[in-house]
Amino acid sequence: MSESNKFIFKKYDLDASISRRTAIITIAKAGLFTILASRLAYLQIVDKDKYKILSDNNRITHRLLEPQRGIIYDLQGKPLAVNREKYEVVIIREETSDYIKSIENLKKILPDVQIDTQKLYSEINKTKKFIPIKVLDDLSWDQFSMINANIHKVDGIYPQIGFKRYYTSGPSHSHIIGYTAPLDKKERDTNTLADLSSAKSGKLGIEKSKDFNLRGKLGNKNIEVNANGREIRELDRYESTRGENIQLTIDSELQDYCYKSLNGQSGCVAVTNIKTGEFYALVSSPSYDPNLFSKNISLEKWNSLTNNIYKPLINKSISSQYPPGSTIKPFVALAALENGVSEKREVYCNGKHEIKDTSLESGIKTFHCWKEEGHGKVNMNEALKVSCDVYFYQISREIGINKIAEVCKRFGFGQNVFESFYEEKKGIVPSKNWKLESIGTPWMVGETLSAGIGQGYFLTTSAQLSLALGQLINGGEKINPTIVLNKKKNAKKQQKISLNPEYLAIIKKGLEDATNTQGGTSYRSRISGNLKMAGKTGTSQVRVISSQEREEGLKKNNELPWDKRDHGLFIGYGPINNPQYAVSVIIEHGGSGSGAAAPVASKIFKYLFDNKLNLKSKSISNV
Amino acid sequence: MFSYSKTEATISDKLRSINYFLLFLICTIFFIGILALYSISDGNFSEWPIRHVQRFILGLIIFFIVALLDLKIIFRFAYLIFIASIVILMILPLVGDEINGAKRWISFAGFSLQPSEFVKYTLILALAKYFHSMEDYHDNFFSKLIIPGFIVIIPVTFVVIQPDLGTALVIFLGGVSVIWISGLNYKYFISGILGLVLSLPILWQYLKGYQKERVFTFFNPERDPLGNGYHITQSKIALGSGGIFGKGYMEGTQSHLNFLPEMQTDFIFTMFGEEFGFIGSIVLILLYMALIGISIRMALTSKSLFSKFLSLGVCSVFFIYVFVNIGMVTGILPVVGVPLPFISYGGSSMLAVMFGFGLLTNCYINYNTTLTKSSFI
Repeated sequence: MSESNKFIFKKYDLDASISRRTAIITIAKAGLFTILASRLAYLQIVDKDKYKILSDNNRITHRLLEPQRGIIYDLQGKPLAVNREKYEVVIIREETSDYIKSIENLKKILPDVQIDTQKLYSEINKTKKFIPIKVLDDLSWDQFSMINANIHKVDGIYPQIGFKRYYTSGPSHSHIIGYTAPLDKKERDTNTLADLSSAKSGKLGIEKSKDFNLRGKLGNKNIEVNANGREIRELDRYESTRGENIQLTIDSELQDYCYKSLNGQSGCVAVTNIKTGEFYALVSSPSYDPNLFSKNISLEKWNSLTNNIYKPLINKSISSQYPPGSTIKPFVALAALENGVSEKREVYCNGKHEIKDTSLESGIKTFHCWKEEGHGKVNMNEALKVSCDVYFYQISREIGINKIAEVCKRFGFGQNVFESFYEEKKGIVPSKNWKLESIGTPWMVGETLSAGIGQGYFLTTSAQLSLALGQLINGGEKINPTIVLNKKKNAKKQQKISLNPEYLAIIKKGLEDATNTQGGTSYRSRISGNLKMAGKTGTSQVRVISSQEREEGLKKNNELPWDKRDHGLFIGYGPINNPQYAVSVIIEHGGSGSGAAAPVASKIFKYLFDNKLNLKSKSISNV
Repeated sequence: MFSYSKTEATISDKLRSINYFLLFLICTIFFIGILALYSISDGNFSEWPIRHVQRFILGLIIFFIVALLDLKIIFRFAYLIFIASIVILMILPLVGDEINGAKRWISFAGFSLQPSEFVKYTLILALAKYFHSMEDYHDNFFSKLIIPGFIVIIPVTFVVIQPDLGTALVIFLGGVSVIWISGLNYKYFISGILGLVLSLPILWQYLKGYQKERVFTFFNPERDPLGNGYHITQSKIALGSGGIFGKGYMEGTQSHLNFLPEMQTDFIFTMFGEEFGFIGSIVLILLYMALIGISIRMALTSKSLFSKFLSLGVCSVFFIYVFVNIGMVTGILPVVGVPLPFISYGGSSMLAVMFGFGLLTNCYINYNTTLTKSSFI
């Protein structure tokens, strides 16, 4: 083969080789493209559902929407607890290049506002950069407008308007309405708002007992977020359900009046409609600013409230238990009548009643009447009127403790008045079984005597007293005690408490005489005019008076330290011709029922007769 | 030696000889790129799309200049162009702009260019001239494998140390494809590949930590779902959730919510696939296949070896771009940072790819031109 032939052959060979190899490479490319297409088919057809879910998880998240708490109204439709706008300041880290500088500038704008910068900075650093963090809460309008005017100096800081619970009616309503505060640890597991970090719940009063109704339901919005978790847009929204509005049976004006009538003394008042069981007032004194707990309370303030001897934080009308003292006597008298003691039965009071007591050196235990020189001969009417202790020692001893206990329980002593007031105490009605079960020792005769005048183990509350009296005076209609207005009046037949009208008449007469005839224990507090009140005073001892002390001469109450003085109680009803209201007043360590409690009750009845006869609720428009 | 009457065609003759179907396909794919970038900008034309258009116009100018040049001039300066590009790569560590710890860019008259993008084509030029000019008696192991091997390894090495693994891979595979087409004996070819595989552990030593990490991650993306695997995982979620028909134009949730990194560049196919679904993805792949198919057909019409090698090399480089990019975003290849031609936002690759198609078209216009063997550098 010649050189040139070889060249031509080679050339031809090379062209063929290029074509062949190009073909191979082209097929390879087509094959690789097929792999890509198959891969895409696998991702986008076979596995598409899996990736669809992953994609939604990636981008959809939800945010909870806080419901507005229900409003609490009084009987007349006056709002007592509302949600009020508040001015606050937040910072969004990503919207400022230097958040420390922004905070420093904010401090310069509001020099008299305290900011815990250390705590704030650590929170800023822990939080995602696009989430607003609260810097200042509950600013005044002046402070708020100051920031707005200087907004250009504080990058990333935004003044905004939030909501806070606001109580309109001052300290007189604090205990009954209560307050809200962030959920505590236990509630974090159970409260339906617990998923919301800012959730609050009622801690006391109606705010607590009706928390479930007031709190409303969480709303929810599904939002699309980007890879950083920032909200891009809202996909759908389920509005939160506003909490139920609640109307109380409390008449705000009356509540205020009662509070003022206590005039700063430590004590409590309950005013009850004896036909419906609605409580028109439930007052405890002294009190505290109801909006105290809307913002952070200083430790100093808190300590001064908890260490105060007058216990301003306690709702005394339901949570403080007192011996009823002589206010129990109408019920003891009823027990006596029901057990064969005639109203005409006379007892001679020489100032004391003696019983055998072998545990004592003298072998005799003496029970004293409050009147040292005695009342002489007294019958039931007289005994109620002058509150003769010896009479009640005698008849109690005759009928025994269990009969007394039975009557007292029948009218509501020893039981909770309200359905779900967590802070309520139910008192004690002593009886033989009760003592055996809770103390473990048998009952003694002397204890019957103490119980007969509402001392000893007997304990009750102001609310209980007015309920019991109400149920007695209304002729034994069982009433449904409440402070929340029942919109649909319950049609169910009212239960009847066993009560002989003749006996009732005897007791009513005794109570009327006690207030409205000379010599009666509350005669000085009587109300003249057409509408009158009637009632029973009570003075309950908080200490045991030794016989030595008695011999040396009883100290006057005002000579004793405050917390050793007797409690003053009064229970009353009015107007006597057509009773509407039962009122109980307790003045802690007030000295005596006639001196401390009856005058307050008298003022309240006068106010009721003048301004609040035939109280009716005004309907609220449920906003 | 040259018959001027044959080769000296007028500009208008040349313009008439251009394969306008090729240009049409290029424009179609470019238009899809504009759609995609418009979607990524959330309907803002002035952000990315406008600059993409500007670059494309610049690219078209380069395409026509290169296409209408005298093929002989290109042939003559092929080595020189290659050497110049290597020199630029070499001095890059001294004059380059450092972005993200890599010196890949060079600023020139207000433009920021990535010389490595052009090296893909200058290497093809050099190899085409080398194999064209090789004497038959040089048909041996040394001149067919070792010398071309060095021509390939030099630019690849410089790009690897930038470091830019993806571009180095494209350059390498582009070069290998030309060596393959040149007719290298299977034995040599396979032993060359084997030698390279055996030397991989040595090359591995030179990889930067993050590059090693990327290779690891490729083999197990869930290893670090929020780190390197994040890209692959999110890309698969976006593509997969697009389903058959896609989420609709501008409705891609993953891409629009920034779950995807570098959407406008390397991961633009993901966004397109999320919004247009499997059907959109396949249509786009078919467009690329058509473009490559036409290019191969055009390449085979050339009579001179230089033109053939050059045109086929351009086809291969283009194919590698497309395959590596889509393979990367679908999770069958490691994330190495290769743009999707005509669609990804990026000036250098746009201009380089247009430069490549300019060379291809030049060869096609001058299919009949014969070139002498030349040892001239």
